[in-house]
Amino acid sequence: MKTVLAVDDSATMREMVAFVLESAGYRVIEAEDGAKGLERARATPVDLVITDQNMPNMDGLTLVRSLRELREYKAVPILLLTTESSDGMKSQGRAAGATGWLVKPFDPATLLEIVRKVLR
Amino acid sequence: MNDGEAFAKDAREAKEAARAADLLVTVATSLNERLGVTALELERSQDLLREASEELLTAFRGAADRIVDAQRVAASGSEGGADYGVVLEHLYRAVHHLQSHDLVNQLIDAQKLRVDKMREKLSEALSLAVPPVAAPGHAEEWIGRSRAMLDCIVAGIAQIDAEAKAPRGGSLGAGSVDLF
Repeated sequence: MKTVLAVDDSATMREMVAFVLESAGYRVIEAEDGAKGLERARATPVDLVITDQNMPNMDGLTLVRSLRELREYKAVPILLLTTESSDGMKSQGRAAGATGWLVKPFDPATLLEIVRKVLR
Repeated sequence: MNDGEAFAKDAREAKEAARAADLLVTVATSLNERLGVTALELERSQDLLREASEELLTAFRGAADRIVDAQRVAASGSEGGADYGVVLEHLYRAVHHLQSHDLVNQLIDAQKLRVDKMREKLSEALSLAVPPVAAPGHAEEWIGRSRAMLDCIVAGIAQIDAEAKAPRGGSLGAGSVDLF
């Protein structure tokens, strides 16, 4: 069973992402900010990271950069799931090493399609 | 212009400058009071939204937990697993709308922060108008006071804009996906 790390400072958003992925057979672990996300990713190897951008303690882009510095996360897909939709931010995401950029609110079917695609 | 005329002119200018300073205090006070009302209304809106969201989430969780368990039973190949596809579709639609609740809540949080900061800055500006003016007969004193108040308010606005943390991005990009 593939494991996904969902990082978001909103408990509701984490719950929504977790429900959609768990209903499709994925295991989901959660973190409430980038710093805790990095801690959990180090403690529990995951197959995919889905992270918000605007969070206290450590934002999403910093989390992406930090994960890409870890040997075990060089090739793990990392998706940003955020309200930010500007081309400038997306470029920053790509430069940081993110695999993709999804704009909230997400469509569950679309999220599942993207997750299946990046985990192939 | 003789000394008497110059004195009268200075006195008139000082009086006008004092009136302008008083007007600024009146406007700032009035604005601060209205922002106070806005803060209360935002608080109330957020309480109502939170209450509605909690009710929805409770109902959602009841169905969602059952579905996830049922999916696990179906995946394990056990007999008796019903087809929950239609129920899942409805729950997925609920997921979409619950996200919107959450985003609105974040927007209200951001606006509350802005309103509170603005009130703080207006109070700071108003406190500059409390000490008596050293030389009330001189227009420059009143002008200096008004300028200090305005500088405080403008600096406050700049700080608020720089710290703004409202969810950015309009509805146009919502749901969009970019794979790099």
